[in-house]
Amino acid sequence: MKDPKDVFTFRRGDAVAAVLVVLTALCMIFVQLLGGAPSGQAGTAKVFRDGEPVMSIPLQKDGEYSVEGAFRNVITVKDGQIAITESTCPGGDCLRIGWISHPSRSIVCLPNRVEIRLEADPGTEALDAVVW
Amino acid sequence: MPWYGKGRGVMKTKDLTLMAILTALALVLSLVERMIPLEMLIPLPGVKLGLANTVTLFAIYWLNVPSASIILLARCLLAALFSGSLTELAFSLAGGTLSMLIMAAARRSKHLSVYGVSVLGAAGHNSGQIMTAVLFMHSVHILSYLPYLLLIGTACGLATGTAAAGVLRVMRPKQPAA
Repeated sequence: MKDPKDVFTFRRGDAVAAVLVVLTALCMIFVQLLGGAPSGQAGTAKVFRDGEPVMSIPLQKDGEYSVEGAFRNVITVKDGQIAITESTCPGGDCLRIGWISHPSRSIVCLPNRVEIRLEADPGTEALDAVVW
Repeated sequence: MPWYGKGRGVMKTKDLTLMAILTALALVLSLVERMIPLEMLIPLPGVKLGLANTVTLFAIYWLNVPSASIILLARCLLAALFSGSLTELAFSLAGGTLSMLIMAAARRSKHLSVYGVSVLGAAGHNSGQIMTAVLFMHSVHILSYLPYLLLIGTACGLATGTAAAGVLRVMRPKQPAA
């Protein structure tokens, strides 16, 4: 196909660019999965603020916790799941993520610099070891 | 001579007015876009449709990269004023800068049309935002979101490119190309 003169018609290079980006993304996911992404049941949630761990929350007990940073996040644990249920941050993206219980997922509040990560119970991981 | 891409020189009032209108348009698009709860469907931090980039793309071709950059900067500042969030501003500027650098280079390639520029711009925007998030959160863990954002971004980039292409096609002057 000859590349047309106008800018608003699809060119072969566009498809190449799109495919390249998609491939790069897929490679990144592949590498992540290989590198031993966590699996298994989550037993504990670790809350980080500014990259520093500030609290460790067991998921077996229902409860409410508060994290203060630039804004305030209220974290609720219920039925083995965890979510940010209240937040004074603008935007409120963190509220919309909802409940998580699997270690592959995390909740992030960017304005408050807060991250909730789940850790699997030792012994329940699906992979025993990854050998290269 | 292509009918798009005005050269340098003293800015005409006409161009200034056009830039102001485009800024307002981009601002409205970015505000409206925030009302769509995309995070419900796709739980990624910072996921968005990028509707305002249609304006940026149009400006890159109809005007030039410096003008488009001014519009982008003004739009980000105003949007941050409206939302009252400085972190939002930081992320927009970071993503926007990387995106604009990539689009400026991509625009010059004869292998890429507005579709390709849009896709690469979207990829740059997401990358810039994630890198800033890594710095802010002091956590490399955030990088794990990047590939998923890139995938969504490519799709949205194609959509945005289609919109911009449509506008550019309609705006083509009726006289035969010189």
